[in-house]
Amino acid sequence: MSCGRPHATPCTEVIASLSAYIDGEVGAEEYRLIAIHMSECAPCEREEHAVRRVRALVVRATSRVSAPEGLRARIRATIVDYDSNPREDGEQG
Amino acid sequence: MEVSTDENPGEELSDAQLASIFEADALEFVDQLYGTALRLTRNPADAEDLVQDTYAKAFAAFRSFRQGTNLRAWLFRILRNTFINNYRKAQRQPLSDSANELSDSQLLHLEQRSAGGVRSAEIEALELLGDDDIRAALESIPEDFRTAVFLADVEGFSYKEIAEIMETPVGTVMSRVHRGRKALRELLADYARDRGLLDADPSREDGGDPT
Repeated sequence: MSCGRPHATPCTEVIASLSAYIDGEVGAEEYRLIAIHMSECAPCEREEHAVRRVRALVVRATSRVSAPEGLRARIRATIVDYDSNPREDGEQG
Repeated sequence: MEVSTDENPGEELSDAQLASIFEADALEFVDQLYGTALRLTRNPADAEDLVQDTYAKAFAAFRSFRQGTNLRAWLFRILRNTFINNYRKAQRQPLSDSANELSDSQLLHLEQRSAGGVRSAEIEALELLGDDDIRAALESIPEDFRTAVFLADVEGFSYKEIAEIMETPVGTVMSRVHRGRKALRELLADYARDRGLLDADPSREDGGDPT
């Protein structure tokens, strides 16, 4: 995939680093080079847009869940088994 | 997130102190771990057991937990390993979708399809898909890729943290996240075409010359 014009950073390199670029996982210099490339290359910019869209959809479709009632208490009970002097037991004076 | 203790590192903590630190620092991740457990097991009862096992193992190993290590990533790693070792083999409910999971060659085929570049119409059409389609696409990509994408996008882990959780090099994480998203995009484009949201002809290009 290429817009057919020469770039300082080849399209293939930009596309290979695209997710890392979007996730803030590239160094400052690589970030700068890719950003320049994006401003010059419409197909790569569309690729970036597409990855950002997919990322947003994954977040949108993945609803946050809460642990069931009582799970925390059961975990805490496992932990205080090790604890000779449980502090959070309501019956303790 | 680090183990918050004012004790000298060399000083031996009592069991009670250790339990107290563990409760204070580790229990705040119950919801996140449960969400991930639910995605892995696809069964609420198994997910609860998995989270409980994870905490039991984590607490048993907590004394040797290296201070300054990322506690959240450590807990996620224990969760994933526990799942792989104990649950994937003996699921109460069989992985109903495992047959739908793409093989390596199918994944490659999907990725190569996008070599011609993406159309703006395709990007716009993805937005119109329902959450059920997004989740179905996620279920279809192989577990390693799905997990990497989830940990990055939903849990907000850095690639380095994901590398710790999945016990794999950072470069592999980068590749899995990227290939996972690429495969998702292609699958979602298929769904969009099936739903009549996207022109069936992928050869039309709006701007730029694919080579």
